[in-house]
Parts: sequence; structure tokens; C-alpha cells
Amino acid sequence: MSSVSDPLQQNLPPVAVARRVSVLRMLLSDVGACIALALVVLAVLGAAFAPWLSPTDPYGNDLANTLKPPGEFGLLGTDGQGRDMITRLLFGLRTTLLMGLASVVIGGLIGGVIGFAAAYYPRLSGLLMRLMDVLLSFPAILFGLAIAAIFGPGLPAVIIALAIATIPLMARVVRGSALVVLQQGYIEAARSLGLGDLHIILRYVLPNCLSAIFVFVTLRFGQVILLGAALSFLGLGAQPPTAELGAMAADGRNFLFFAPHVSVLPSIVIFVIVLAFNVLGDALRDALDPKLRK
Amino acid sequence: MTRLTALLLAGAASAAALATPAAAQQKAPLTILRIIDADRYDPVRSTATAAAEVVYMLADTLVTVDFDMKTIKPGLAESWTVSPDGKTYSFKLRKGVKFCDGRPMTPDDVVYSLKRWIDPAIKSPVAFRAGPVKDIRAEGDTVIYELKEPYSDLLFQLALSFASVVDKDTVEKLGQNFGVQGFNGTGPYCWVKWTPRQELVLKKNPYYDWGPPIYKNPKPQIDEIVWKVIPESNTLMAAIQAKQADVTYYMPYIALDTMQRMPGMTVQRQENYIYDVFMGFKVDKPVSKDKAIREAVNMAVDKQAIAKAIFFGKGTALPSLLNPAVLDYDKDTVAKMPKHDPAAAAKLLDEAGWKPGADGIREKDGQKATFTVYGIRNDINPRISEAMQADLRKIGIDMKIQLWDATVAWGKLATQEFDAFYMSYPYVTATEALNLYFASRQVPTPNRMNWKDPKTDELLKTAATAVDAQKRKEAIGAVQMQLTDANVWVPLASQPLWVVAGDRVEGVRAHGIYGAGLYKGLDIKLKR
Amino acid sequence: MLRHTLQRLLLVLPVLFGVLLVGFLLMQVVPTDPAQVRAGPTATQDVVEAIRQELGLNEPLWKQFLIYIGRLAQGDLGVSIINNVPVSQELGNTIGPTLELMVASLIWAIPLGMLLGTIGAYYRGSLLDRAIMAVSVAGVSLPVFFLGLGLIWLFGFKYPILPFTGRTGPLWTWEGIQGIIMPAITLGGVFVGPVARMTRTSVLDELGADHVRTARAKGLGEVTVLLRHTLRNALVPVVTLIGLQIGFLLGGAVVTETVFSWPGIGRLAVGAILSSDLPMAQGTIIVLSLGFILINLAVDVLYAVLDPRVRGA
Repeated sequence: MSSVSDPLQQNLPPVAVARRVSVLRMLLSDVGACIALALVVLAVLGAAFAPWLSPTDPYGNDLANTLKPPGEFGLLGTDGQGRDMITRLLFGLRTTLLMGLASVVIGGLIGGVIGFAAAYYPRLSGLLMRLMDVLLSFPAILFGLAIAAIFGPGLPAVIIALAIATIPLMARVVRGSALVVLQQGYIEAARSLGLGDLHIILRYVLPNCLSAIFVFVTLRFGQVILLGAALSFLGLGAQPPTAELGAMAADGRNFLFFAPHVSVLPSIVIFVIVLAFNVLGDALRDALDPKLRK
Repeated sequence: MTRLTALLLAGAASAAALATPAAAQQKAPLTILRIIDADRYDPVRSTATAAAEVVYMLADTLVTVDFDMKTIKPGLAESWTVSPDGKTYSFKLRKGVKFCDGRPMTPDDVVYSLKRWIDPAIKSPVAFRAGPVKDIRAEGDTVIYELKEPYSDLLFQLALSFASVVDKDTVEKLGQNFGVQGFNGTGPYCWVKWTPRQELVLKKNPYYDWGPPIYKNPKPQIDEIVWKVIPESNTLMAAIQAKQADVTYYMPYIALDTMQRMPGMTVQRQENYIYDVFMGFKVDKPVSKDKAIREAVNMAVDKQAIAKAIFFGKGTALPSLLNPAVLDYDKDTVAKMPKHDPAAAAKLLDEAGWKPGADGIREKDGQKATFTVYGIRNDINPRISEAMQADLRKIGIDMKIQLWDATVAWGKLATQEFDAFYMSYPYVTATEALNLYFASRQVPTPNRMNWKDPKTDELLKTAATAVDAQKRKEAIGAVQMQLTDANVWVPLASQPLWVVAGDRVEGVRAHGIYGAGLYKGLDIKLKR
Repeated sequence: MLRHTLQRLLLVLPVLFGVLLVGFLLMQVVPTDPAQVRAGPTATQDVVEAIRQELGLNEPLWKQFLIYIGRLAQGDLGVSIINNVPVSQELGNTIGPTLELMVASLIWAIPLGMLLGTIGAYYRGSLLDRAIMAVSVAGVSLPVFFLGLGLIWLFGFKYPILPFTGRTGPLWTWEGIQGIIMPAITLGGVFVGPVARMTRTSVLDELGADHVRTARAKGLGEVTVLLRHTLRNALVPVVTLIGLQIGFLLGGAVVTETVFSWPGIGRLAVGAILSSDLPMAQGTIIVLSLGFILINLAVDVLYAVLDPRVRGA
């Protein structure tokens, strides 16, 4: 990156409206990204309106009609408790998305603050980034196990573990892109005007890091859902009767050879959601990366 | 690029160097599959079923239990006598018994092993099972087991793996590592090698010809046995089906029908198997202390449907507090046990003052009808608890579930944090089971119900020290009736034991004492 | 280059200490009482208390940590509180199989990923490129356990041609190779995608670079240009990515080892943490994090080898 900046930019708002529009237009011109976006919107809507969309009670039971294949009892069959799969999937989607959102937001906020601090205060950088290296040295699964051991298995444990595993990654992304922004001329200018650190970070640095953060968060969301599913597989995820896609896929694997739909359907939903977020993240990155834009 | 390849190759070489070469085998050993491994195989230091099922093959006990789970048969003792006051047992030992290393077994070995069981320095978690011992000593070829007071369960307890006879020299040589790095017993099979969480290899004890009379052939007929751990039940099932292993009694219940249909596969059930699943209430917690709540739960839960759905038609619902197959079972308790009737349960709660609240959950004097249940996260508890939760919601009771991983669970189940808990346990007599769980001296564990009742204590004591079988049956029957009436437990199902064996194996018969499905492993032969 | 390596090595030490401390503290806040674990289900309270004394669990926390560090310095990782096996012995037994699994997974996944990525970049925008990218993204989005169970269902159950009940022998025997095929496909399968994507991006960058144009202008063959002038430089970000993804791979290894009963360190770690076997859990955490740190150290060094600009600095 060149440290010589456009003299005009010094007085302009850092993110131009025109650029946002062009990013959006580029995204919409990509068929894959459009489908992915539609899927995400659909998933969010389905999750949000699960109680109204569901044909049955997600926490009831019907032990006379367990493990019915799709088509025989409801459109997608029933699970091990005789509950309608559509209902469970909708409620599962709701929990899974909330779990992903909570852990990415919590981990992202903490990691973001650390990243900005490390970039803005070079003296803190060494200590903070070493600390991040320590966190990074623990595979997320180990975190999940340890935290489940502390708080007991359940959604809170998974969210905390995934949030902690997100912190160092976010810190690295934010520090990296903030360092580039900090080299720009307008930051010099803002500093020389005597603006406060917080003001500079929030008003000038943050908006220019947003695209990198946005790409990271989108891709991370998919990873977090996958990690959550892995933790559920090891028996640390959501507790009954909570419907959560990872836990459903993991619990249903006991019937894999006999009633595959119980495990396969939530796995497919996980796959599709993660895929959608990945495709969206890739498209966003392409759209935001000036090198690939031409 | 070349350097990268070199690095990878170096990694491969170091991995290869660390790997141990597999022993060459001329004939395929009998492979038995199971889900979990034991922490160790020292008879007196582990309470795990996973330890017992192997220790039974590695070592022998003074007496044995027949397939009916009620009859005591000879083991290392060819005969025994009990003094009229019920305090002194004399066991006449069989001759010609040898340890795996060839050393002849002496009465002193038996005395040493039994004393080790109750030695305070060993801190055996199962020492209480030995009863109120006054002295154990050898007189000629007889072992005298002297008690401070009569202990009617003694013979059954002596048949458990905890009372196995082990070699003193090996125990002293290995110390804490006995049953970890090695073992020396008088069982039909001998310790070869244990790789924790992977496999335990046994080989035939060449001297062994003193198998209990419950078997047709007193000699082991297989050269090598491998106990293999497969934690994933799908993998276990597919492995049996693909003939990568021979025997298992940890087959997922859902797969049993398929196995039965496969040519050459033998699938059999042990009808007298006792491994009960129940939910127990703490009787001093805000909601669960109310007898009406406990009774309503017993009525609201559809035990038949649960047993059928959870075990895929291969299990049986428990009709009473204890298993009908158990010694000194009181069959009158069946009538006393509340029948499945959600409407009556709701009525009962109404009458007891539990009125439906705004969210459908009942309330009484500002207290919501909510309770928390703890349990082990095994393959059945998650499903049983979810089914019960749904049943209870229908009558306005909110049951919160918290399941824990097997090893963590025991610590959690020792606390006072929960209101109810799930437990599944193997036992041999009614007196044993109820003394274990309901004596007031057993609070807080294993009497997690906090059941403290002078009448129960007295009856339990009477049963435990009874010399006369009829008196014991009466006393323990009264306890069963009292506890059934109090609805302290919700008896759920009798966990069935199904042994599945491949077409290479013949002579397998399901036993199941303390969960050990193959017991001594005798009579089993390999066709090829 | 030696200086560069030493420098990185020095930076690793405080991180390692942090890992030890965090690992120790994590295990301390676990509310499970190891004494209770050891005593078993039907034990009474006085038995549990006696075992607590014996294990030294009543000492103050800082003292337990100091004792632990002191022993560690002597190479003594302690013994399992559950079955008394030395931790180092258990680690020694499980590191081998995990390394085997890692190597067997990476040995096909990385070359395949790089090949796919290069092809994608070379035929940028074509149907082939799109197909490759689609498959890569799909591979990244697949839950590891689902892939493993699917393979077992297909090649273990439906067409029983491959074993899947754990390690069947050393890698250089036919049995050993058969046994590792499915675990290696499972674990490697989730790794092809990221490598392909990263390779594609960096090869694309390089294809537009000046020295590649010069090479082409010199009339060098396309294959030579691709291999010598493009891929070599494109390797730098790919290698970095592999280092960073090792944590992800270790996580996948835990699940893969569970699905296939693979006797590796991941399964050991899960079991130890869940059973509150503190020394064992700490041992596995140290080894896993150490592995991560070392691989990244190796990546840093490789970086210097591959990128002359870093080498000079």
C-alpha cells in the first residue's frame, strides 16, 4: 500500500456511497451470490417465524410414530421421539443461527477491540498479539471441551467456546486492516487536528476496515456453525429438548443406517447454510477486493 | 517444493518410527466389541461394568451364579457350609487350580485377595460389599469367612468380580499398576496386553479345567480373545455386519432385527438379566418432596411406550420398583404401582393444590411445578428423558434435563443441585439393591434420594442380617412395598441384554452378571 | 536465516508459557472432583476425602501449579489419576497414530488442492474453474462427521470393502494402508477446499505479475512458467494457510478419530478432559498446542525458504 494518499480524500467521508452501491451491484450480478443471499434470507425468515410456520409442537412426543420416513408421517417424516421433522428443522435452524450469531458477535466485538488496540497502540501490540497467539494455539474443539467441562454441556458453553476461538482470528484481521488504514494520510491529518483516539478509531479507522470485517464475519459464521456441529457431535452441544441442527444431526446418527433422514436432513440444512455463507463471503471478498474487481 | 516434500517425508518417517508393529497371528482371535473401556482392571479398584466383564475372564471367584441369576454354584470353592448363626462360612477349595504363570493357588492366596478387598489402605469403593467381616483365614484347604453379624447377601457378593482371587506376588510387584500393566489370576484367560481405550488382548490359560458347572466344557476353547473398544455405535454395528468382529452385547437395539435376519448370525436375549433404569426423586426438595407430584409423575409417564420406543421393541417396561427376575422380589408391589393415566394424574395434582399457571405449568403457593433431573449422557438417557419431559408437559409439570458425560456425571450426581436423577444399575438381590440405595447411612451417595426413614433402616437391617430366607424375603418385601407407596422412584425399564455373534462363533450364551454378558467366556468355540 | 529461525523460537517461549498457564487454569475451574471420579459411583464421602488428600488436591492453587511446572521441567508429565499410566507413555502411544493420520490426510489433500487451484486459476472463469470452486466451497461446508459416517455407510456397510474399526497396522503394511484410507479421506476431504481456494487466488495474483509476463515473453513453455515462476511464489500464502489451518485440522482429527476409533491423541484429549483426568488433559493440551506452535514455526521458516524477500530481511 502506498502511504501517499489522494489529497481529496482527506475531507471526504472515508467510505464513499458510490462504492457501496457498486459493491452491491457486483454482488447481484453474481448468480451464485444471489442464490446464496436468497437462501440466507429464507433461512433467517424461516427461523424467525418458526413458531408460526411449524405444523406441530416441537417439544411434544408421539412414541407410537417414531422414525417414520419422509412422506409417511408429515412431509419429511418424524424423529426418534415421533416429532415432525419440519418443525424440528425450523426450530433447529433458529437455535443454530442464534448460536452462530451470538458467538460471532461476542467474539467479534472482543477481538475487534483487541485488534484496534493492538494496531493503534504499538506498545500494546506485542503483548496483545502474543496473548492472541496463546488463544490461537488451542484448537477450538479443545476450548469447547474445556468450557463444557466447566459450565456443563449446553448452548452457553458452545457459544462461549466459539466466541473465544473467534477472538484471536478477529483480532488478527482487524489489526491487519487497521494497520493499513493507519498509514493513510487522513489519519495523520485527524491526529494533527487533535482528535481523540476513540474518535479517530470509530470515525475513520473502523469504517475503512468494515469491508475486511464483513468478509471475515460472513465466512466465520459458516465455520462457527460447523464447529458447533462438531461439538454437538462430541456430546457437548444443545441439551434436550432444544432443537439445534448440529445436535440433531449428531443424535440422529444412531439411526443412520435405518432412518437416515433424522441425521441427514439437519446435516443437509447445515451444509446448505454454511455453503450459502461461504459463497456470499467469497463474493463479498471479490466485490470488495479492488485487485479482483477489474 | 522439494524441501516441502522432504519435510512431509520426515514427518511420515517419524510417525512410522513411533508406530508399533502388529504381532503376527496365525489364526484370527475372537474379537469382542464394546463401547467403552474401563479405567483399570484391578478387581477391587474399579466399579465399572467394563472392568467386571473382563475380570470375570481373567480371574475366578469362590462361588459362581447360574444363568437364572438366582442359584449359587461352585467356583474355586467346590463346596461350602454356613454356621447356624449365619456368621461363619467355610469354603472348601478345589484342588489343582493354577495361576496363569503356572503357580498353584493356595488358600492363602484366597485369604490375601479377600482381605485386600476390605483393606482400608486400598480404599476400595466396593469394600462395603464384603459385609461386616470379623476375620478371614485359611485352615488346611478351607477358607473361613467370619462375620460380626449375619449377612444374607454374602454368597452373591462373593460371586462378583470384586471378590476375584489374584496373585499376591504380581500385585506387590506391580503395585498401583496391577490391572493396568499386567494381571495374574486363575481365570480361563490370561492377560497379554492392554492398550487403553483400544483393546485388551487375552490368551488361553493352558492349565484351566475348573470352569463352573454351569458350562458344558470346563476348559477354554479359544486361543486368543481381543476385547476391542468401538465408541461409535454405528461403527460397531457395521463392524459386526461386515464380519470384522465376532461378538458383542452392545449392539444398538435398532439393529437387532436386521442382525436376526442375517444368515449365520445368532442373536439371543438373556431373560434374567437385571440392569434397571429408573428415575429417583430427592424427597427433600421444594417440588419433589410433595408425594402428589411424585405419584403424578409415575402416572403421567407412559413407561410401556417409552420402553418400546427406546429399545425398539426389544426392552421391557418395569412393572414395579424392582426387577421381577430378582431374588426376593415382592410381586404384590405391581398392584401398588400407579398405572399410566394422565387424566388421573392431572386430577391428583388439582386435588393436591397444584393449579395450572398462565404458561401451562402448574403452581402451588407461588412454587412452580418445575424440577431438574441429572443423568449420564449415554445412548438411552437422552431419549428417555426427552420422552418423559413431553409426557410431563401434558400434565403441567416442567422437567428440566441436564445430562453429563459418564465420568463427570458421578461428581455431579453426588451434589444436592438436582431434584431427580436417572440411574441404571446391575444388582443380584433385592436386599443388596435396597440396602445400597435406601439406607440412611448411604446419604448423600448412593442414597441420592436423601431417604431417611427409621422403619426402612430397621427392615433393611433385618433383611441383611437374616439367617432365615423367608424372614429376609418378608422384611425386604415390606421395604419394597413402603418405597413403592412413597413413589420415591419412577421405575422405567429393564435394559435388555442381547448378545449378537457372527457365523464363525458357536456356543455363546448370554449371562450378564453385573453387566458381564459373556461371564467366563467358556463353551465358546470358533468354527474357523 | 538461522537468525530468523532463532528469533521465531524466542517468540514461541512466552506463548508456550501462556499455553501451560491457561491449560492449567482451565483444568482448575472444572467443577468435577477428580477424587470423586476415582472413587466411583457408589463411594461414600469419607472415601472421597481420603483420595483427595492422597492426590494433593487440597494444596493451594499456586502451589499445585509450581509443583506441576517443576515436574514438567524435569520432563515428568505425571501419571493419569484414573489408571496410573504415565502421561508421557500415553502421549507416546497416541502421537504416532495421529501423525500417521495427519500425514495420510495431507499427503493427498495438499497436492490435490494445489492442482485444482492451479487449474482453476489457469482456466479462470471457465466452466471447469467454476466447477472446481463449487466443489471446494462444498468441501469446506461439509460437517466432518457427516463425511466420515457417509463413507462408513458406503464402503463399510453397503459395499463392505474397507475396514473402519481403528488402526489395522503400521502404514507400510497393506493392512495398515487399508485401515487408514477412510479416515484419511474424511480428514483430508475437508482440507482440499481451503488449499484449492488459496492456491487459486495466489496463482491468479502471480499470473498477472511482471516476472511471469517476462518469462512468457522469453518463450518458455506454459508448464515451466506455471511450475517454476508461478507456483513457487504462490506457495507462500498457501503454506501460511496450511499452518493456520492446522488447528482446524486438529479439531477435525478429534472428530475423525472418534468416528473411526482411531487411537490418536485427539481421542485421548477428549476422553481425558471429559473424565477430569487433569494430568492427562494437560499433557494432551500441551502436545496439541505445541504441535500447532511448532508447525507454525516450521511454516515461518519455510516462508523464508520460499520467499527470498523474507530471507534477505
